[in-house]
Amino acid sequence: MIEARDLVKRFGDATAVAGASLDAEPGICALLGPNGAGKSTLLKLITGLLAPDSGSARICGLDVASHPMEVRRSIGVIPEDLGLFDSLTIEEHLDLCGSVYGLERKEARARAADLLRVLRLDHARDIFLDQCSHGMRKKTALAMALLQNPRVLLLDEPFEGIDPVSSKTIEELLRSAASRGVTVFFTSHILPIVERLAAKILMIRGGKMVWNSAVDPHARPLEEIYFDLVEQAPPANLSWLGAK
Amino acid sequence: MKALRILGAIGRATGRKLGTFRALKINNFFLIIALVAYSAGESGIEPASAYPFLLFLFAVLLFPLSSDPLDEVPRSRLALWPVTPRERAVLRAASLVLSPILWFVVLLLFFHRIRPGVASAFITLAILVQALSTTFRFAPQWNVRRYVPGWRGTIGMLMRSSLRQMLVSLDVYLALVLSLGAVLYRLLDAHPDPAAFPILAILIALAVGDYAQCLFGRDLGGSAITRYRLFPLGGTAVLLAKGAACLAITFLLTLPVQLTVGMTYAFTALAFGHHASVIHPAPLRAWRFSGSRVYIGVIQGIAGIVLAFGAAQRGALYLASSVILYCLSLAIYGRVWELRRAA
Repeated sequence: MIEARDLVKRFGDATAVAGASLDAEPGICALLGPNGAGKSTLLKLITGLLAPDSGSARICGLDVASHPMEVRRSIGVIPEDLGLFDSLTIEEHLDLCGSVYGLERKEARARAADLLRVLRLDHARDIFLDQCSHGMRKKTALAMALLQNPRVLLLDEPFEGIDPVSSKTIEELLRSAASRGVTVFFTSHILPIVERLAAKILMIRGGKMVWNSAVDPHARPLEEIYFDLVEQAPPANLSWLGAK
Repeated sequence: MKALRILGAIGRATGRKLGTFRALKINNFFLIIALVAYSAGESGIEPASAYPFLLFLFAVLLFPLSSDPLDEVPRSRLALWPVTPRERAVLRAASLVLSPILWFVVLLLFFHRIRPGVASAFITLAILVQALSTTFRFAPQWNVRRYVPGWRGTIGMLMRSSLRQMLVSLDVYLALVLSLGAVLYRLLDAHPDPAAFPILAILIALAVGDYAQCLFGRDLGGSAITRYRLFPLGGTAVLLAKGAACLAITFLLTLPVQLTVGMTYAFTALAFGHHASVIHPAPLRAWRFSGSRVYIGVIQGIAGIVLAFGAAQRGALYLASSVILYCLSLAIYGRVWELRRAA
């Protein structure tokens, strides 16, 4: 469902993504990497928000560059900046999405009500997005991604800044979608969630893929693999901290 | 010492905030008023005709300029810093000196041609504006955005969002003040000059028209621009939704003045404004004037005024020309927006 081949993206002299390739089939695939490794840039290249310098990406068999409109209709996205309208309320965001993706008004209303209830946003439906907390904003972006029932979900850090109960709900929603044939591709820094949720894990460092494998329950813990392949934590000892 | 350092930071923040008003000097309304004043000055007469418009401009500017300089420090930060009550009192008193309005009042008082009564009225107005701002800040239920009517369909909902965005643009409030002035003139003057209304309609549309150069300005400041790029919507539909908000506001404000003239200017302003909005998109802060590139503003202003005056004399023909120009621009820049969607 998601295929990327040799994607390269440079910003001036810096190479954000250096020849990344990946395949993600229906199920849950997670992309890990430290800050600035190129995760969000890779996601932008796959969603068509950025044009690659070279390489190509396909979603549901459609080339992202040559069939942008069809690709946009088949994906649900949480972009890095969440892509929200500060001058609309939470409920108005869902109304707008229903209309943009051509859902019947009644159907859109019913789905929106379900999503607001499940994501515990129903009490805040009339709040403008510029008055919402970070967690509420993220959940709104997730609701927007799910509303049109897409075949592919591309989610940039869907669990960061989310309370534990909502986090558990989102895990269940993604598992349920994947079990019905949806391809879920998400980035995260929260290793325990990735370990629980993903069937396939990719790791990126300096714009290059350093790990691309299905999850093996008998392999080493994910944290060990991550620290070995991606980055070691520097010694954190500040001599002045706590000294009198 | 601590208070001095904080004051220094407030001073820097206030300076930068004043810098964000620089779009005013490329704002078409301001340029026209400056031109009127300059022409009068060159002819050796007092530019009295520019005074009322300058007054309107200052009245609108009072809202963002009269905010409390101490607000530049986040309240939570100020509460957490180890600042003694005495230092806090010093900060409170000294920060008022950094208020741009206070400097303006001092200038007024020292400028001999301004009567003390006018300066006092100005100070009263500034205090009133500050009180109003504070009241609205502590009464979020009076959120004006809630009263913007909604329409069904994608374009209707996007238009509602754009209308709400325009409510934090000073251009709209300047146009509102001008429109109210024109209505009062029509109602209260015993013999209003009919020739004044096309000019007033042009000035109202001119004030709103500057926003046409920054259609995505508020979206760029937030994250909505990403959503526009992700939606399966053509560029023409996106520009239509954005422009419809400008047209709706111009319609409302020029309806009691001279609608044909106002709408002719608005369609023309959008036709040229699309270029700036799509090719040179620039973020627009809340409570500031719009403006993009001087050359676009000048072309927009000249074309708009020529067609609008034509509409004042011959009506529908010039209005139709501006609508055709707008539709052509919509098709061309809709396609350009589409091509530039992926950065």
